[in-house]
Amino acid sequence: MDIASKDPALGTKPKAQELSRWKRIRKDYDLYLMLVPGLLFLAIFKYTPMYGLVIAFQDFTIFKGIQDSPWVGLKHFNRLINNDQFFDVLTNTVLISVYKLVFLFPAPIVIALLLNELTKMFFKRVVQSVVYLPHFISWVIVSGLFINMLSVNGGIVNTIITKLGGSPIPFFLDPGIFRSLLVVTEGWKEVGWGTIVYLAAISSIDPQLYEAARMDGANRFRQILHVTLPGMASTIVLMLILRLGHMLEAGTEQVLVMYNPVVYNVADVIGTYVYRVGLGASDYSFSTAVGLFESVVAFLLIVTGNALCKKYLGRSIW
Amino acid sequence: MAQMNAAAPRRKGKTGGIRTSFGDKLFTTANYLFFCLLGAATLFPFLNIIAKSLSSEGAVVSGMVTVYPIDFQLGTYKLVLGNTQFLNSFKITAFITVLGTLLSLLFTVLSAYPLSKPNLAFRKPLLLVFIFTMLFNGGLIPTYLLMQKIGMVNTVWSLFVPGLIAVFNMLVVKNFFEGIPESLEESAKLDGASNVRILFSIILPLSMPVLATIGLFYAVTLWNSYFNAMAYITDPALKPLQLYLKELIDSTSDVMKMAGEVDINRDLNSTPEAVQAASIITATLPILFVYPFLQKYFVKGVLVGSVKG
Repeated sequence: MDIASKDPALGTKPKAQELSRWKRIRKDYDLYLMLVPGLLFLAIFKYTPMYGLVIAFQDFTIFKGIQDSPWVGLKHFNRLINNDQFFDVLTNTVLISVYKLVFLFPAPIVIALLLNELTKMFFKRVVQSVVYLPHFISWVIVSGLFINMLSVNGGIVNTIITKLGGSPIPFFLDPGIFRSLLVVTEGWKEVGWGTIVYLAAISSIDPQLYEAARMDGANRFRQILHVTLPGMASTIVLMLILRLGHMLEAGTEQVLVMYNPVVYNVADVIGTYVYRVGLGASDYSFSTAVGLFESVVAFLLIVTGNALCKKYLGRSIW
Repeated sequence: MAQMNAAAPRRKGKTGGIRTSFGDKLFTTANYLFFCLLGAATLFPFLNIIAKSLSSEGAVVSGMVTVYPIDFQLGTYKLVLGNTQFLNSFKITAFITVLGTLLSLLFTVLSAYPLSKPNLAFRKPLLLVFIFTMLFNGGLIPTYLLMQKIGMVNTVWSLFVPGLIAVFNMLVVKNFFEGIPESLEESAKLDGASNVRILFSIILPLSMPVLATIGLFYAVTLWNSYFNAMAYITDPALKPLQLYLKELIDSTSDVMKMAGEVDINRDLNSTPEAVQAASIITATLPILFVYPFLQKYFVKGVLVGSVKG
């Protein structure tokens, strides 16, 4: 992550340089030409949809377009607030996010600490290669793998349950289990990959600190507690703040491939709801209002997080 | 490791400088055991599905297959590789992955290089124009309406053009460029080389590690993406691999059968599970194939990208 704000050349700009700004642009015109494709891309595919958000305040129909659709003020937001379904969706989103935060945020930290204690380099490298791998597998395939293993027709897990005398469990159809399934599959896919940042933080800890701790008679557990953990503390806080910014995503792409009508009421998150109501039922204005709600909250979370980061850690995400 | 081995015998006696206590030994053993189990748990789903793809349908449905094939056969792979819809989807995904990755790298590098120049006039506002798109977005519906308006719905372009520049990747590349010593460019500048020339003949050859990493990230994202296809593609001839697989998995799984999503008729000739397994494996092979070669790069690349701040 970069720190644009710490750029010395920007902070203390001498006046002479300020005056020659246009001259510099003319001299380095090719640098600006290079920026054209990127800026055009952003203008079309990122900023135009932001303008399109105005349809949340209209009764938009595709025939009339944004220009001619009637303005209706906050009608769709009122609908949203008074909508029980939206309330369920919001609850699901926050619950799923919180479950994932509680169970999956600490896991990579613990695993990184334990990986760091492995002294056989070959073994360590093999373990790392293996645990990073699922990160590169698509959600479609991950859901395929788990549907396959948990199937009631010949899935290995239900075969074992049956052999032990239990009755088969339709994991993907049980509203009481589905959220746990979301947490477990995300854990399988991403926890290993999550260790990479913490391992990097650990590798930048001064080895002399360990020597000093050992001289003082610290065993390995004490070394972890008093040297390694404090050394990675700022990375942990940074990652936590980054995560909080994504609270309302709750793994939309994951839910969209894994869920089904039977578990909609416990699994529908904002992203999947927008998809179903918007593209499925063509209720454009209402689902745009839902999407705008998500975007605004996400924006506030990220900006607040970054401000906290700057204040307490002295480093910022952008 | 060599050091450890040399030192180990001397430490055995209780008189050595630092003793390995019983607790330490227990911890070490438990730790190695833990990672063996974690590795096994990570690999098990893969091994299970590979075994299923190589087993007879009867063995698969009866649930006998664990991590080795039962009634070994290769027929399902022949079926998968002979399936025109699968091959067509495979080709589309390969096309968008190759073209999309190359164009993404080009667009990303072209944006990152000027922004890596500390003296660029209006650098900060320009950077903000990029970063703001990471913080706020128009969301699904306005984006869909735009795609419809510019005629990209149901075209192969809709699968990679909306994601051409990932701003996060651009920032990683920019950080890397900033770490390259200025002096390398200065002599070329004195010889009258243009900025474009400097970028392509001096900077880029030095940037291979970061380009490989970012390229891998773009390629994996494109290979794995299904959301754009779900939103923008209805034409079966344009379905990329992941969407094809999603529909295949839905048609086979008891999830959709029991949820009433698949009607009885389709249910009767639903895809055999071994074929589904073989399709999943075949679609994953390209990633499994490039993964070992690029691993050393992405570890470095992530370090450049995430801990520099």
